[in-house]
Amino acid sequence: MGHGHGDKGRPSKKHKSSAKEEQRITMVDDEDAYLGNEADDDFRDGEEGKKRDFSKLELKPDHANRPLWACADGRIFLETFSPLYKQAYDFLIAIAEPVCRPESMHEYNLTPHSLYAAVSVGLETETIIAVLNKLSKTKLPKEMIDFIHGSTANYGKVKLVLKKNRYFVESPFPEVLKRLLKDEIISKSRIISEGSNGNDGFTVSKALGETGNGHGDLLNEAELVAAAEEKETHSFEIDPSQVENVKQRCLPNALNYPMLEEYDFRNDTVNPDLDMELKPQAQPRPYQEKSLSKMFGNGRARSGIIVLPCGAGKSLVGVSAASRIRKSCLCLATNAVSVDQWAFQFKLWSTIRDEQICRFTSDSKERFRGSAGVVVTTYNMVAFGGKRSEESEKIIEEIRNREWGLLLMDEVHVVPAHMFRKVISITKSHCKLGLTATLVREDERITDLNFLIGPKLYEANWLDLVKGGFIANVQCAEVWCPMTKEFFAEYLKKENSKKKQALYVMNPNKFRACEFLIRFHEQQRGDKIIVFADNLFALTEYAMKLRKPMIYGATSHVERTKILEAFKTSRDVNTIFLSKVGDNSIDIPEANVIIQISSHAGSRRQEAQRLGRILRAKGKLQDRMAGGKEEYNAFFYSLVSTDTQEMYYSTKRQQFLIDQGYSFKVITSLPPPDSGADLSYHRLEDQLALLSKVLSAGDDAVGLEQLEEDADDIALHKARRSMGSMSAMSGANGMVYMEYSTGRKLAGQGQLKSKPKDPAKRHYLFKRRYG
Amino acid sequence: MVNATKGLFISCDVPMAQFIINLNSTLPASQKFIIHILDSTHMFVQPHAAEMIRSAVSDFRDQNSYEKPA
Repeated sequence: MGHGHGDKGRPSKKHKSSAKEEQRITMVDDEDAYLGNEADDDFRDGEEGKKRDFSKLELKPDHANRPLWACADGRIFLETFSPLYKQAYDFLIAIAEPVCRPESMHEYNLTPHSLYAAVSVGLETETIIAVLNKLSKTKLPKEMIDFIHGSTANYGKVKLVLKKNRYFVESPFPEVLKRLLKDEIISKSRIISEGSNGNDGFTVSKALGETGNGHGDLLNEAELVAAAEEKETHSFEIDPSQVENVKQRCLPNALNYPMLEEYDFRNDTVNPDLDMELKPQAQPRPYQEKSLSKMFGNGRARSGIIVLPCGAGKSLVGVSAASRIRKSCLCLATNAVSVDQWAFQFKLWSTIRDEQICRFTSDSKERFRGSAGVVVTTYNMVAFGGKRSEESEKIIEEIRNREWGLLLMDEVHVVPAHMFRKVISITKSHCKLGLTATLVREDERITDLNFLIGPKLYEANWLDLVKGGFIANVQCAEVWCPMTKEFFAEYLKKENSKKKQALYVMNPNKFRACEFLIRFHEQQRGDKIIVFADNLFALTEYAMKLRKPMIYGATSHVERTKILEAFKTSRDVNTIFLSKVGDNSIDIPEANVIIQISSHAGSRRQEAQRLGRILRAKGKLQDRMAGGKEEYNAFFYSLVSTDTQEMYYSTKRQQFLIDQGYSFKVITSLPPPDSGADLSYHRLEDQLALLSKVLSAGDDAVGLEQLEEDADDIALHKARRSMGSMSAMSGANGMVYMEYSTGRKLAGQGQLKSKPKDPAKRHYLFKRRYG
Repeated sequence: MVNATKGLFISCDVPMAQFIINLNSTLPASQKFIIHILDSTHMFVQPHAAEMIRSAVSDFRDQNSYEKPA
């Protein structure tokens, strides 16, 4: 609990009190077991006690062969050492949300959303329950079965299908369609066609059932009946202009029959085909194949989100999807740099011709020739509400009027919901595919994505990819740097509350640790190093002192390109300093070491994104595999000043990666005590000079870098237009790293309103602290 | 002539010593508890301050540690 800085005989009251705490908890737990729910409620609610008592679960006689523990509250634990792990994993990832996936034991959670996703990839309620029961060590708790029934009763019963450019509402259950038609809005939108038959006037057709590519192998191996081969479906047609309204009426807050969207692209004869396919050398890896099979499970294309870690080849998945659908494709990225990268990826992996692909950004306004093609652009360009140049007005008009086969959306986790709504309402697309590495948002807007794009179709397990050698095996370390006496004395002073961050970032011990690590990796291993600093003051100080190039928001495009080029090719430039512009928009495949000296408070996503910069696998595959030459080939250091707020943020930031199975090694003695005057700031006078520099800098100079416009195309717009409206349109409003207040002030949070805290939901330890 | 004062000898790491000194300096003169700062890791304080220092240190450490919400 306490961050062991008290080993020099400091009174350790903390430990005593926590021991007491635990005793109390056990006591309450016992009470729970015997007296049921009547636990001490203002201390902690009875619910939690109940969740911890698993003694009533009944083990099956052959439980040793089964990989799962299923609990009544919807949590599922998977033993990864079970021989059935692979099959069980594939199944669980389809029906449940991964909570935490360390090496030997995974935790999953069944949620309404995850079950919606399961249904939408074609799993049926009964199949879910049967497979779960088969894999579980215990009899499935009744609560869980009821929950699955309850959550899936309405999901996936209705599909919205675009066939030959007519929208159909389709369902195997005519009674559901009848219910929908009782709704005024839906019945008004219905188009009654002449050829309809059947008593209710529904069109009845035989649809091919699930081909079972995705989960079929699991079903066979788990010795289960395959899904039905053929099914009757009933459908009625609706007015294309009313599609949005009908969809809205079907959402859970209205009729509660959320529609799945599918695109029967093979039978789409209205939209011209795009002549492109994957090049033979583009070999999707097994997990890429699997994610695609979830998307194209029944010969149609489903909308949804695919989650793969950075460096695992998201672009190949996107390009493969586009080449399977073979219709016009609109690809949206977050900034101009990644637009270029996407365009490059399309040309790299597919046989698309140069004139069929075009980029639409503020500096390159290309148009494709012919009837079908790929357009790569940014969210901002499409959603931009202000006045455009004549040329881009024309292009955007074209984008609006065209019917897109596939809307490919990169980095869906960063784009705010209102921007999505806008983009989705502007563009008519048959199928939407969202790609992301980290499906976490600090603001919990992630659930919006479910209904705006579609359910999560696939999520890869990071550790499995590491084991397979598909992404780099990263050693994560947290380096603890004690504050020096003088810096800590200033840190504690009330009048320096705004400079706290600058003080713990500029801590001379941290600087020395950073310098040491840079030297070690440059000289001993010949690595390429990125140093991240969110704090601009620190970034400049460090980079100047160590004489290394740096890139931050205000660095011009030309200079950036020059620095990055030098970093990639020159043997003399092995370290660069980046501000948070480097978090995701700059692609630096050469780097394999990250040193983080300051970061944006407790953002878990930033941590994951930064790690992603070095995840691309390097070197020979056999070296990377377990037992190869190099066990670790990438390093992620987070330098933390002990006894400061940074400790709090650092632990919080690591949570996402820890949930993915990463562990952080704590290093306490860096630089080694004998390094002395080799490193900077050895002498007290130097340290004091640095301290006075930090203290004399203005409050705004030492604060966080304000990157409202992320320095891509929007920055160019900004030169011409007023700033107020731009920041709203730029998506910067959504690039929020929102922190829920935990009773302390947070830097740079000013304009963001944090969610009012419901005291009842507070963790019981916090309840104790804040009343 | 020799004066004997009963007190408490505190030995801690550098930052914590600074924390205690800072704590002492924020208090009004009548409540100041440090008798003598011996060096950067040792000090001599009034015996009654022990509990107060402990709880202040523990609060401070709580603030800097993150616990994953359940």
